[in-house]
Amino acid sequence: MFPTRPLFFCLALLLVVMVLPAPALAAAKAKGLLRINTTIQTYNVSQPWELNQPQRRRGLGAILEDGNILTTGEMAANSTYIEFESADGAHTVPAEVIAIDYEANLALLKPEKGANREWIDKLGTLGTNGPAKIDDKVNIWQFEDNGDAIRTEGTVRSVDLLSTFASGHYFLCYEVKASMQSASSSYTLPVTRNGRLLGILASYNSKDQISDVVAPDILKRFLEDVRDGRHEGFPSLGIATVLTEDPQFRKWLGLTDEQGGLYVSRLLPGSGADESGLKKGDVLLTVNGHAIDRRGYYEDPTYGRLVWSHLVRGSRQVGDKLALLIMRDGKEQQLEAVLRRPPDHLIPSHMYDKAPPYLIKGGLVFQELTRPYLEAFGKEWRSRAPLDLLDALNNPEDYEEGRKRLVFLSRVIRTPATIGYDQVNNLIVTEANGQKVTDMTSLAAALNNPKDGLHSIRIDDIPYVIYLDPEESDLVDKALLKRGLPALQRLP
Amino acid sequence: MNKLLLFCGSVALLHPLALAQNPDQTGNRNADIYKSVVRIESATQVADYRTPWNSGRFGGGTGSGFMIGPNQFLTNAHVVSNANRVLITRRGSAQKHPARVVHIAHDCDLALLEVENDAPFEGLHYLKFGDVPALESQVRVIGYPVGGDRISVTRGVVSRIDFRPYSHSRVDSHLVVQIDAAINPGNSGGPVLQDGKVAGVAFQGLRQADNTGYMIPTPVIQRFLKDIGDGRYDKYVDLGITEFALFNPAMRKALQVPEDGLGVMVASVLPTGPCDGVMEPGDVLLSIDNNPVDNAGNIEVEGEKVVLHEVVERKFAGDEVKLEFLRRGEKKDVTVTLKAFPHSRIYAVRYGERPRFVFFAGLVFQPLDFNLYSAYGFDSPRVRKIFQNYVRDALFKERKDVVVLTRVESDRLTSFITGFNGTVVDEINGTKVKDLRHAHELLYAADQPEFITIKCNGVVRPIVIPSAEVESANKRIMQQNGIFRSHYLGDSQPAS
Repeated sequence: MFPTRPLFFCLALLLVVMVLPAPALAAAKAKGLLRINTTIQTYNVSQPWELNQPQRRRGLGAILEDGNILTTGEMAANSTYIEFESADGAHTVPAEVIAIDYEANLALLKPEKGANREWIDKLGTLGTNGPAKIDDKVNIWQFEDNGDAIRTEGTVRSVDLLSTFASGHYFLCYEVKASMQSASSSYTLPVTRNGRLLGILASYNSKDQISDVVAPDILKRFLEDVRDGRHEGFPSLGIATVLTEDPQFRKWLGLTDEQGGLYVSRLLPGSGADESGLKKGDVLLTVNGHAIDRRGYYEDPTYGRLVWSHLVRGSRQVGDKLALLIMRDGKEQQLEAVLRRPPDHLIPSHMYDKAPPYLIKGGLVFQELTRPYLEAFGKEWRSRAPLDLLDALNNPEDYEEGRKRLVFLSRVIRTPATIGYDQVNNLIVTEANGQKVTDMTSLAAALNNPKDGLHSIRIDDIPYVIYLDPEESDLVDKALLKRGLPALQRLP
Repeated sequence: MNKLLLFCGSVALLHPLALAQNPDQTGNRNADIYKSVVRIESATQVADYRTPWNSGRFGGGTGSGFMIGPNQFLTNAHVVSNANRVLITRRGSAQKHPARVVHIAHDCDLALLEVENDAPFEGLHYLKFGDVPALESQVRVIGYPVGGDRISVTRGVVSRIDFRPYSHSRVDSHLVVQIDAAINPGNSGGPVLQDGKVAGVAFQGLRQADNTGYMIPTPVIQRFLKDIGDGRYDKYVDLGITEFALFNPAMRKALQVPEDGLGVMVASVLPTGPCDGVMEPGDVLLSIDNNPVDNAGNIEVEGEKVVLHEVVERKFAGDEVKLEFLRRGEKKDVTVTLKAFPHSRIYAVRYGERPRFVFFAGLVFQPLDFNLYSAYGFDSPRVRKIFQNYVRDALFKERKDVVVLTRVESDRLTSFITGFNGTVVDEINGTKVKDLRHAHELLYAADQPEFITIKCNGVVRPIVIPSAEVESANKRIMQQNGIFRSHYLGDSQPAS
């Protein structure tokens, strides 16, 4: 139902494309399109004080009627430099980010203040478009190296909620069938219908020839959100649910055959659902009057059967109210939830444009656990990453108490202060110098106060306590700085 | 993949042919020795933990063994594990003599056999045990390896004496002597000789290295023979502590350890083990039975550094050990009584046991152990974590068995029970499950509520089975799937 991110044009540079002379053919006429080039740098997961080698990414942006440029969040995330370029390469201008939404995979950019944008204004603009229907014909736009535009016609095949960038965030997308070529190894392509911007292509699977296009409904919400210059983000109800297809389970819950319903399995603390009085074990029957079926679908007036979360994430703003009809102990009950941004998570699901906090003491390297840290264990990370850290990711409620973040000893640099600790890594930290460690800041504070002439750090596995000599570790820290470590800590 | 490989061949027909006499001067003595080395054939039945109601896989293999006393044949445990039938053949004879396993020790890979009728073996030489051979000294390996039917003798040099894992059980480590003789499948259980005496039993090799063979040296054999002296094998005992080397000066300072190179930190104490309530994490062990313990946890025995657990290796349940340790700078002397620790066998490969299971309305429940774990390859981090911490966190106190829902058989009753395979069962009808027998009692209780609920660890919703449907579903699904019995809970005495 939710395909994983396919290989996206990365082979393009290796392919030899035979360009046949065709002087009689005129290139497609493009309007309101420009190239975007970005340089992307992420942090090194095991040495979080360093950046990885920069990577380049190319894509296309759509020039909107207000002169701002819309593209995917993936194009702009982790970027250290962004520039706009005309199709023929004759003009470039540095760009800056107005807003990025990693969850919905959208970004709004503009030329840097004071830069010459005259050439951009001559390219024309794209007005936005209303919803498409299944079987609608749409155009996907690319640029050739020579500056010509390529227009590929495609057909909207289906509408679904997909996660196209930040994992675990599902938004309305069109699945468009079109046979595309690779051109100038571009990510991110504008999709138009009747000369107006319909959506932004986020990924293309060359095997199935299906591309995922962020739908106009989501574009519209995003642009409305940032209109006041402040990007709030998409709202969330803050629940996890389980389907109620199992007839035995339904009987036990007291659901009739006519009812649908989703079983509420978890409420995020501090979420709108949590505040509304919703409880674990309730069954969610309707949202704003839309009946939810046993698989979690409702009847959308525009698109037909859609996953219920579109009623929250794709159709509302933060602060909106949502009417919930639930079943509790066999009785129906009405609740009202105020939508909020998803509450801060113990283990952040992404770290785009964020420098990971870390702390080094005497050669011990501490970090805050994030999902990207675990994903760095490779394709098989769900079985290869350290078991205790994986368990924390899967069952954060067992680790949340008294913690803002999960601090762990990620590795040990071999120094005179860490003799005998070489093999210790990836262990959850509970206390330092008698103080409970709730995040990196609290660890840093605790390490200012060694007890009885020693630092003691309590971890959740053998050897359970690690001791450091404060003087020795300070000397080591100084030596590490001398040898090229930029800083001993980066606090959030 | 386990890198150790057991040398138990599944090879070859016996070919009764007279063997040539050994021409060299020790010929007579050698001929006597050869006669005492026998070939062992076993017919095995290996349980299939994925279909625990089925008979499992039938197969067989051959190994070697040797006479150590009247109607006493020593061999490896792995030669006769899971055996339904054991046959012993004398050198130069076509006769297969039915034998039985008298004692089997999976933790040190040794077994003692006897034949039903020992008349044909009368007058044979009983091989005597020698000492641990010296490094670089020569030894001979005798047995019936692959590559021919007759007895085989190879020579090698002792290249290492070490404390190493015994791959048969996967979890036990004892003294091992490494030799560079070619040991091959079928050699298992055969004697390794030096100066006409047994220096060890050939038992395993290394998959990635040629000409590297391992033998079980005589201290381990003697311990086994002493243990079974009372007619019962009581297994190895364990001190029940995990150490952490005290290489770090700050750690030594924190634990107030003098800078004399002595003392190892006790990192964890096995709950209910011999040291439970006596030692605690952070204690520093200074000596064991008056042998000083160094910062790495080693002691010196006969001029060689060995791990401190070597002291316990030679002892038996009920024996005492003297421990001297530091707690917050204060010296303490204690004597602890050693005992076997059955809970840690959850990590050992099990042999000769019928898998226990409970079938209920299309759901199959099995107790977690190494065999089950390797049969299913559970990938849920929760199951892996419970398995890994079962002993460390004393989970056995609440759950004698970790009951896992291993299978959901297809049926109209179960078609929407998805995502539960390979999860640990916490509660049935609100009662915490203690072991498989308890789970069986709860599931098949006489007065059931309208809905039987099963709560699995880490799964957010319960499994619900209407009790009115259980009987018909059992009948239907068992017939569909060829499951001819609803449970096997083990013998009344739990299998060891």
